[in-house]
Amino acid sequence: MRLRDFFAAGAVNLDLESETKDDVMRELVSLLGIDERSRGILFKMLKRRENLGSTGIGKGIAIPHCRSLVANELRVAFGRSEKGVDFEAIDGKPVHFFFLIVAPPLEVSNQYLPVLGKIAQFSKEEGVEDRLRSIESEDEFLALLDEHNV
Amino acid sequence: MHQHLETLLEIQDLKSQKTELQDTETERQVQEEVFNISIDDALDALDRKVVEMEESLPAPIRSRYNRLAKRYPRVVAPVIRGTCYGCFVSVATAVSSDAGRNEEIEYCESCGRFLYLVD
Ligand SMILES: [Zn+2]
Repeated sequence: MRLRDFFAAGAVNLDLESETKDDVMRELVSLLGIDERSRGILFKMLKRRENLGSTGIGKGIAIPHCRSLVANELRVAFGRSEKGVDFEAIDGKPVHFFFLIVAPPLEVSNQYLPVLGKIAQFSKEEGVEDRLRSIESEDEFLALLDEHNV
Repeated sequence: MHQHLETLLEIQDLKSQKTELQDTETERQVQEEVFNISIDDALDALDRKVVEMEESLPAPIRSRYNRLAKRYPRVVAPVIRGTCYGCFVSVATAVSSDAGRNEEIEYCESCGRFLYLVD
């Protein structure tokens, strides 16, 4: 299983515009290429998850995630904000890098948790935030994932 | 989307989130270790939210919801290519082609679950 396989075309945005936590979640959901009414529900579910505790894990990285019936398959998106967004992260610092994961409640292959685990592992690796800051294209981003064997 | 269908979907999503936290060891580990979540607090918060949303449903929908919830873990079934994914029986064409797409509350004639049309 390679992480890159879960990114649909266009699901990487290296120049997010949003400046607030809510807006950035909406902008990330819009990268998934799903219909508008499903987006609203996903946004609400992501928010509900954030209410349990921020998914901003420090080092400028957040991994918002949820399961919902409106997701018909496991999908992942990545977004980068140069300015950073206050995401109520564990370390209180602004978040620049966002990995969004959504999955259906019942998923035959059950890859949701492994994918979440891989992203968490990748995020912990030394120097990863510098690399994420310097990539210039979607291809470079995907190559970075390959390089880290995730 | 129909307002109450949206609420039903949300309740269901919250309930599955709760089940995951209760029953899946890996899920608990990830939430505790990666995100520093207190599982007990999270379960309480989810319970409270579910009750609050259940109470916001109008009486007729709520009584069907209660009846279904006693029998099935999931009361809303997705309809994919004309089939109810709760009972795997084809749903009436009129329902599966609902012009407004989820603008009405529809039920499966076979199992009674609320239906959510998936694109
Ligand atoms: Zn049915």
